[in-house]
Amino acid sequence: MRRVAIVGAGMTSFGEHFSRGIKELIPMALGEALASVDKGMDRRDIGAAWLGEVGTTDGFGAGILADSCGLLDIPVTRTENACATGQDIIRQAIYAISSGHVDVVAAIGADKVRDTSSTSTFWDWMAQTRDMAWDFPLGLLAPANFALHASRYLHEAPATREHMAMIAVKNHFHGVKNPKAQLRSEITVEQVLKAPMVAEPFGMFDCTPQSDGAAAVLLVAEEHVAKYTDHPAWVLGFGLGIDRVMHQHKRDMTTFTCTVKAAKAAYAMAGLRPRDIDFAEVHDCFTAVELISYEDLGFAERFEAHKLVEARDHYVGGRIPINPSGGLKSKGHPPGATGISQCVEIFEQLRGHSHNQIEGARIGLAHNIGGPTAASGITILGKERR
Amino acid sequence: MSISVGTYLPPWGNFQGRVLGYDEDALTMAVEAGRQVVDAGGAVSRIVFISRELPLLEGGNSAPLLAALRLPDTLEVVEQLGGAPATLDAIISASAGTLIIAVDANTSAGAAAALVNGSSPLVLAGRAQRSLPQRTRHADGQSFRDDDPRLLRESGVRISMSAVDLAEKPLLIAGLNARDAAVWSAEPPPTLPTLGASSPIFALAVLIDSARSGLVGAMEQATLSVAHFDTAGSTVQRHEPKAQKPAARKKAPGGDIKLSLAAYDRAFKSKVGWHAGKCTACGLLSTPPRYHCLGCGEDDQWELAPLPRTGSIYTTTTVHVSVPSLESPYTLAVVECDGTDVRSLMHVTDVPPGQVTIGAHGRLVLRRVAIRTGVPDYGHAFSPDAVSVQEGGAA
Repeated sequence: MRRVAIVGAGMTSFGEHFSRGIKELIPMALGEALASVDKGMDRRDIGAAWLGEVGTTDGFGAGILADSCGLLDIPVTRTENACATGQDIIRQAIYAISSGHVDVVAAIGADKVRDTSSTSTFWDWMAQTRDMAWDFPLGLLAPANFALHASRYLHEAPATREHMAMIAVKNHFHGVKNPKAQLRSEITVEQVLKAPMVAEPFGMFDCTPQSDGAAAVLLVAEEHVAKYTDHPAWVLGFGLGIDRVMHQHKRDMTTFTCTVKAAKAAYAMAGLRPRDIDFAEVHDCFTAVELISYEDLGFAERFEAHKLVEARDHYVGGRIPINPSGGLKSKGHPPGATGISQCVEIFEQLRGHSHNQIEGARIGLAHNIGGPTAASGITILGKERR
Repeated sequence: MSISVGTYLPPWGNFQGRVLGYDEDALTMAVEAGRQVVDAGGAVSRIVFISRELPLLEGGNSAPLLAALRLPDTLEVVEQLGGAPATLDAIISASAGTLIIAVDANTSAGAAAALVNGSSPLVLAGRAQRSLPQRTRHADGQSFRDDDPRLLRESGVRISMSAVDLAEKPLLIAGLNARDAAVWSAEPPPTLPTLGASSPIFALAVLIDSARSGLVGAMEQATLSVAHFDTAGSTVQRHEPKAQKPAARKKAPGGDIKLSLAAYDRAFKSKVGWHAGKCTACGLLSTPPRYHCLGCGEDDQWELAPLPRTGSIYTTTTVHVSVPSLESPYTLAVVECDGTDVRSLMHVTDVPPGQVTIGAHGRLVLRRVAIRTGVPDYGHAFSPDAVSVQEGGAA
C-alpha cells in the first residue's frame, strides 16, 4: 500500500459567517490549502475530492464542492459521519490514494451552522442522530447526550466540575493566539462555573460555540510528495470507531468506546503508543469530553485525567499539549470542518509555523467524537515518514 | 359482590387542589389509577373510561389504555364523557369484571378506578336527571360559565335532592363543594380531592376505609344519582403522594416537532406496554426489540416480554435550555430495570427537575412524553421513590 502525506492545508476563520455561504467558504479553504503548498499545486492535479459536511445548506454538497471550486471533472463524494466526519474523509482519501486509484485528493470539511437559528441548531442536529420513536421525543439534545456520560464519569471518578472548567480555561488561553479562532478571549474557572446551565453538569462555557467554517487538506501519494513539498505531514495511522447508537446500550458510560476502538486501530497502524504522541487536537465539544478522552486516548490512566489537568500538562509547554489551536471550545465547531481544521493545526505544528508553536513537535494526533457518542475518528500525523 | 378500588392523585397541587404534571393527561392518570387495581390481581373483562377530558376525541384512547395496563387488546373499552353521576351509574349497572376508570384532568385533578367483582355492591336508591347547564364546553373546547352558586344550590341541589326523596341523608355526596356537601350529608363529610367523574370512587374509598355501608350520592350541576353501597369485602389501593408546588417550567416558542406516525406505530407495543423484545432462541432481552439478536445472531426470532416497572438510575442530566414541544427544565435518566440488565432512556417525572441522583430507585410510569403534531406520544418515565429524592436539589 502506498503511503500518504498532507502537502497543503488551509482553513477559513471559524465563526458566524453571516455574509458568506457554503459556496464561498469551501473554495476559500481550498484556495488557502493550495496556496500553502511549498512548491505550488495546480488544482487540476486533484484527482478526487471528498466533502465532509454534517448538515446541508444550499443543497447538494458534492456538487457544490465541484461547482464552487472548479473541480467539475473529478469524482466528488459527500460524507457525513457525525462529528467524526473530518477524520473520516481523510480515511476515505487515504483508501483512494493507497489503493492506487488516485494520486492527489482534496479533503474538505465545511458546515454552515449559522444558516439555522442559534436557538434551533441543536434541535435540528438532533433529528439526524436519534431514534425517532425512543430518543427524539425525549429531547436528548447534543449537550444532554454527552452530559449523560459526564454525570456518570463525575460519579465514578475523582474529577469535579472545576477540572472540566480548567479545560475550557486552557482552550480559551490557547485560542487567544489563533487568528482563525471564534472566541479569542481568556476566561476564568469562576466564569465557567457561574455560567447559565445548559445540561447538567455543562454550563454555557463548557460548550462549544456554534460556528460556520471550512477547512481543507491536500493528500498526496508518497512518490509525488517531493513534487509539492520537502516538509509534508505524513499520515502514520488512522482509525474509525463506532459504538451503539442508543445510550441505554452503552454499558460503561465513563468512557467513549468508539474513541477507544479508533485509538487502538490508529496506534496499531502507526506502531506507536500514547506516550509517543507529542501533542493532540482532542474533540472538546463539551469540556468533560476532552477530560474523558485523555483516558480513552491513553494520555492518562483510567479515572486520573484530572491529574493531567491539575499538573497543567495539557498546556503548550506541558507534557502533552492538548488543543494548541484553542480546540472546539475557542476555535469553533463547524462539525464537518472541525476534524480537518485539527489536521490543519497539526500540519502547521509539524512544519513549525503554528501561532502557538510547540517546541519539537514531531507527532500529533487529531481526534473527533460525535453523533450519539457513537462515532470517533482519529488521524496520527508525523514530521518523519517512519 | 365487592369492588376493588384504586386511586391516583398527581403529586402537584395548589390551593385549589391537585394539578396535572406537564406530562400527564386523562389517559396517563387513568393508567395510574387502573394499575392500582390491575397490579393487585383483579380479573378485568371490560373497561368503562369516564372523563370530560378524553385526550383523543377522534378515537385512539383505548389502545394505549389497554397496552399500559397490560390487558388484552381484545377487551371492550367504553369511552364515556361524563361526570360524577355517570361514574356512580356505571358502577351500579356494571357486570362482573367491569373496570370503571374515571378521571378529572382539569381543576382538582385526580383519577380513580373501581373493578366490580361479581355483581355490583351498589344498588340504585334514586336518580334525577335535570338541566341546569351553568358550565358548558363545546366540541371545539370553548367553555362558558354562569357562575351563580345560589342558583345551583336552590334550583339544582335542593330540588334534585327532594326529587330523589331519600329516607335518610347520604353518608357522602360526591361532586358538591365542601359547604354544600356538609349541608346534604348525614354527618360532616371529609373533603374529597376531586369534584368530577372520579369523585364518587373517592367517596366509595372513604366508606371502604371506614367499613361503613350506606347511601352515596353523586352530583353534577343539577343531575343526581344515589346508590346504596354495601362495603363488605371491598378493598382500596391508593397512590396519593403528598402535593408539592408545581415546578416552574417554560415551553419553547415555535411549532410542534413532527411525528413519524409509522415510527410511533412500530414502537407502540413495547413503548406503551413496557415490553422488551425477547429472543426466542437465546432469551436475550433487547429494548427496543432488535431484528438481529446480538446474543446468538438469530434474525427476526423474538417475542414481546414484559419488563419490570421498577428500576434505578444509572446516569442522569437535567436540560435547562428550551426545546420545541417540551417544557424546560427537564431531567433525563438512563434507568436500569430491576433484575435485568435492560436500560432505557426516559424522563424523570413527579419531582421538580434536577432532584434525582445516580442510584435513585423508583417506578416506571406511563406519561405523555411529548405532543408531536397534535398526537400525544406516550411512553414510560421514571418516578423516584420518596426516599430517593434529594432534599432541596438544584432548581
